[in-house]
Amino acid sequence: MTALTCTLLAGFTTPMRIDTTVGSMLWLLPLVVAIAVVYKATKVRQIEVRAFARETGLLIGSILVFIAVAALILYGVAWFVTEQIPAMAGGPAF
Amino acid sequence: MARTPKDHDTFFLGAVGLLAWAVPGGGHFLINERKRSIVIFVTVVLTFLVGLYVGSVGVIDPVNAKPWYAAQLMNSPAVFFLGQISISGQFPVYGRAGEIGQIYTSIAGLLNLLCIVNAVYMAHVRSLDEAHT
Repeated sequence: MTALTCTLLAGFTTPMRIDTTVGSMLWLLPLVVAIAVVYKATKVRQIEVRAFARETGLLIGSILVFIAVAALILYGVAWFVTEQIPAMAGGPAF
Repeated sequence: MARTPKDHDTFFLGAVGLLAWAVPGGGHFLINERKRSIVIFVTVVLTFLVGLYVGSVGVIDPVNAKPWYAAQLMNSPAVFFLGQISISGQFPVYGRAGEIGQIYTSIAGLLNLLCIVNAVYMAHVRSLDEAHT
């Protein structure tokens, strides 16, 4: 028990190893869930498990869709600025 | 001098706000919103602890990351003491884990700020309703 507690507490003293990969973007998901749960907890009139879960799920879905759309648009803008504009100008890319 | 109902209301709203800051969900607990307070407590505390675990206690940095620290401080006054512990610089923070830890702990603080405002607002609306009935 003491060893387990020590190991757990020691985890708070050093950072985890997280590489800068595409997979590290998945750390976004728990945060979106937390934001949706707390936001809905302040908004709904009564907290009933089923209705609350449905509303929270809907909010999580809409946030993720919005992030995906924003990422697509930003990717498109970046692609246009770094690939298309230099090609139209006849010069090399950055 | 006797307290007027308005004084009592201000005192009560202050108490709700302070308790909501001291313990996430505490303000809602005080106004008998038990389910709401449990949901808020579990979510805010879990988000904060995940942030601390991912990035280490060092993500609470009152010296070099003041804006983040201000957001983290909204979790609870206890963050101030964690800041005093991490100020020694013996807890390393680096890389992606540091960023994620900082974001998690700060978002948890901002979520708790939302809950503080909501608890005070709900208490105010209730006292107005009681005054009208």
